[in-house]
Amino acid sequence: MEGAADSGRAAALARLLHRDCTRLLQLYKERESFLSQHAPGGERLVTLALCPEALSTGEQVGHVRSALRRCMGLLECLIVREVEEMGEELEGEYESLRKTVRDRLGHLLHSTGALLEEGEGGCPPSPPLQCTEGQDEVDGSDSFAAKRWTYRVLLELIHWTDSASQTLHLFHSEKHGQQQQQLL
Amino acid sequence: KPQTRSANTHVMVWSDIPEKSESFMFPQDKVVPVGSNMTFCCIVKEKDDFKEMMYGRQEMSATRLSRRTYAITVTNQPASGNTGTNVICCSQRLTLTGAVVFVGYPPGDEGLVCETRDLASAECSWKKGRDTRLRMKRSRTKYTLNGRDCLEANERKTWWCSSKVWEESWTLVARNPLGTVQLTDSAQLTDRVHLLAPVNVTAVEVEAWSATLQWSWSVASYKKLEMVCQLQLFAHELSSTRNYSGPGLSSVVLESLRPDVDYTVTLRCGSKHSFWKWGNESAPFRIHTKMDRPDALDVWMWMDSSNTGRVFWKPLSVRKSHGALVGYEVSQSSAEEDGRTPVSLPPGNFSYPIILNNSSDITVAVAARNPAGLSQLNVFLYINNINSQLSVSELLGTNGSFVLSWQPNVNASSGYAVEWVPTGCSGLCPVDWKKVPESDCSFTVNSDSLVAGVRYTVSVYSLSTGALTLLQRWQGYSQEMIPSQSVSKLSPIQTGSDVLLSWKATAMEHQRGFIRGYTVYLANAAHLDLIANISDPEVQSYRVKGLSPSFYKFVVKAYTSAGEDAGSTVDIKIEMDTADMLFVGILVPLGIMFCCLILISICCYKKREWVKKAFYPEIPGPKVPGDWSSPQGPLDVKPSPHSLVHIVENPERDFTKEGLFLVPEEEEESENDNIEVDTDSDEPALLRYYNQVVGDGSHSNQVSDSSGSSTASVGSTQTEITYAGIQSPTSSQGACGGGGYRPQMQSVAGPAEPQIEFEADFQDDGLNTGYKPQCSWQLDSPEAENFSGSLGSPTSVTSSQFLIPESSEEKPQPSNTWFHNFLSGKS
Repeated sequence: MEGAADSGRAAALARLLHRDCTRLLQLYKERESFLSQHAPGGERLVTLALCPEALSTGEQVGHVRSALRRCMGLLECLIVREVEEMGEELEGEYESLRKTVRDRLGHLLHSTGALLEEGEGGCPPSPPLQCTEGQDEVDGSDSFAAKRWTYRVLLELIHWTDSASQTLHLFHSEKHGQQQQQLL
Repeated sequence: KPQTRSANTHVMVWSDIPEKSESFMFPQDKVVPVGSNMTFCCIVKEKDDFKEMMYGRQEMSATRLSRRTYAITVTNQPASGNTGTNVICCSQRLTLTGAVVFVGYPPGDEGLVCETRDLASAECSWKKGRDTRLRMKRSRTKYTLNGRDCLEANERKTWWCSSKVWEESWTLVARNPLGTVQLTDSAQLTDRVHLLAPVNVTAVEVEAWSATLQWSWSVASYKKLEMVCQLQLFAHELSSTRNYSGPGLSSVVLESLRPDVDYTVTLRCGSKHSFWKWGNESAPFRIHTKMDRPDALDVWMWMDSSNTGRVFWKPLSVRKSHGALVGYEVSQSSAEEDGRTPVSLPPGNFSYPIILNNSSDITVAVAARNPAGLSQLNVFLYINNINSQLSVSELLGTNGSFVLSWQPNVNASSGYAVEWVPTGCSGLCPVDWKKVPESDCSFTVNSDSLVAGVRYTVSVYSLSTGALTLLQRWQGYSQEMIPSQSVSKLSPIQTGSDVLLSWKATAMEHQRGFIRGYTVYLANAAHLDLIANISDPEVQSYRVKGLSPSFYKFVVKAYTSAGEDAGSTVDIKIEMDTADMLFVGILVPLGIMFCCLILISICCYKKREWVKKAFYPEIPGPKVPGDWSSPQGPLDVKPSPHSLVHIVENPERDFTKEGLFLVPEEEEESENDNIEVDTDSDEPALLRYYNQVVGDGSHSNQVSDSSGSSTASVGSTQTEITYAGIQSPTSSQGACGGGGYRPQMQSVAGPAEPQIEFEADFQDDGLNTGYKPQCSWQLDSPEAENFSGSLGSPTSVTSSQFLIPESSEEKPQPSNTWFHNFLSGKS
């Protein structure tokens, strides 16, 4: 029964995290008003291109988890940069939610990792994230470019937490169904 | 490759060349002051179409500079937000490119002040001033103090800088991309001493009135510093400040504390020389002083008689108790005997009775006790000369209080004492007193300790060691009120047409003010009429003169300065004088009566004929053929047969009528009307005549036989009977057996003699039933014709007695009885 409970909790956490990430972007858009009107172009920051095809739900969960790990890296970079630039004096809703998202994402990664069997759904390890990656459009210290990048990171978060939520929900349903059958 | 040069503008150089194909905006990340003007240029990517440029939320009109270069110019830029102002360049679908501009202010720091906390290093602080609005780290204000970077200010949001060494002259440079500010300060180290807070504050010796406080310093070099320390003492919402000084001060003795008090102490110190500012305050520290013996009590003695009294003392305030009291001790001693064992009283008692054995001087001492010990004894030496014959004067209250003043007395070495107590009180009385110093010769007894309407005896004594002398005494009211009870024993005494009203004044406890006089009223139906106002309170009577006889209601009211009381009422009815009464009451009716009598006599005399006729009609006397000298004894007459009475029963007669019934001699008890007539006897029975009245009240139906026994003679009345032809009945029926005709005679006090006249000449046979000489016999009457008897009825009976009783109580059931009674003279 634990498995079903754990997967249920993971699914719920993913759902909550998705909501938080949506709100985070909303706050960011309120601050940087230009983003509400025009969507920046560019590729996805996080892709599963390198991952093998996921056949089972478990493998899908693994893939999503890999993506989320990547997101986590990006979020960490984002926080570091913003703190670096702005200092720690700002303590608005955006800053506190940013921290919450990071913490919950960490919990989600941990709980999804516990659900999977070893090596299940894992993607090949990607090179360690350089925080300056993806920012070198013209000039690394370009504030505007940083803002656009931040926006993309936040979008990735939304996308992948949504994907995780759905996958984990499916996973949970399967797990739960299996356990019902076992009891019978 | 357009270039613009101007003295005040920055020149940006860029290239619009196909190699750089991406969209690009220029300038990036500029920091400009508020109010400046800027131009932004957007180079659009190849094949992308340009739509607009925006500055923040504002759409700007762009000028096209070249094929894919657009520019906007912004003027008077406002301050940007925390993350700067975004300038974007957009196509229809996308944001192509953009830049962030930071618009802010140069540094506004001011007021650099450096001080030392540890007598070695320096701490310089300043005020931030206006916000620069530049949040980004790279555009934030950077500080250097005397050329060195200020880590505290640059890294954290603090506006002070420290320096390990005191340099006596300081220069702070505040710099941001928009400007630089320099602040300077210079001072000696000794002039800028700002001490830290003392640490480890403790109280090492705590007494009742003092305590020793100790602390230490975290900086060793303080010990050499001449410092002044300020102590704040808090107790019972009162605070006091004390200053102490010394080098490296680390302990002080707190004097003038009060026993059994909770104190809170805070301490801060500063440099004594060139005092700069107080150092940090220590944490509050609590001290509780010990208890001490209570202060001496304020004692007073008051005697309500020559050998009884009470000693009073006033409660000690908390301040004087020096610790919660556990009780009092009273001891008394006199010259003869030594001091007795003190009496212990629990707290809350404030008096104790004192009894003097003899009228000698005694010493009473009262002390208060608390856990720390016994207070000083307050000795009261009572010398029995207090109740002197000093005259008592009247005292008037002023707004509810007594304002007193007296002549200074040389003997008052210890001052004076003012005592006030309700007059006439005895036992546990609300005695109050106040001791005043010898310099005072006046005192005001507060209205708080006085009750309106109560008479107080106020006395002033001079105090000296061992002596108490009464100087002056008053009696008065703090506030006079109308008496609560009116005069008593109000009684009127009438003398003639005057009424003397006398009364007694109310008792002192009901007066509630000095009685100033009395008012006398006459009560009418709805109101009172003032008759007199007696302004002398000693006068307790009043004479009301000239009252006519009537009912009067008098009201007497006593009045004080506050007004009149409710009054006592008395009624009196004024009556006529005795002499008048006699005259009116007795003589006048008497005179009237006499007048009436005279009038009646005159009247009667004038109408005497009529009167005689009406009241004393003449009854013709019997025609007596011979000499009818009345024998003394009974006259036995043998009646002729004609004189026998024949009683014939006549049922038609009405027996209920009163009538004169013949009672047969021998049948006196017969109840019915049928009287058997003795018809067999030939000889009629003897008729016995009496010419004297048979005794009244005798019930006897006198038989002729026994009539002899009847010797009662009532008075000297005479009865003369005139018979007119008594005939015997036709039948052989004789007379009613022994029907003696015995007229009942009664003694009558009356001058007139009843005259009964008969005019009837009966020829009838006998008498039916009744012989009614009073009846109106008519020959024509049918009743008369019924007479079958030949009774000759007497035509006149003259008797001095009433022949017919006035009223017979017994119903003449037996008609015989009534008749018999009548004849026998029974009433």
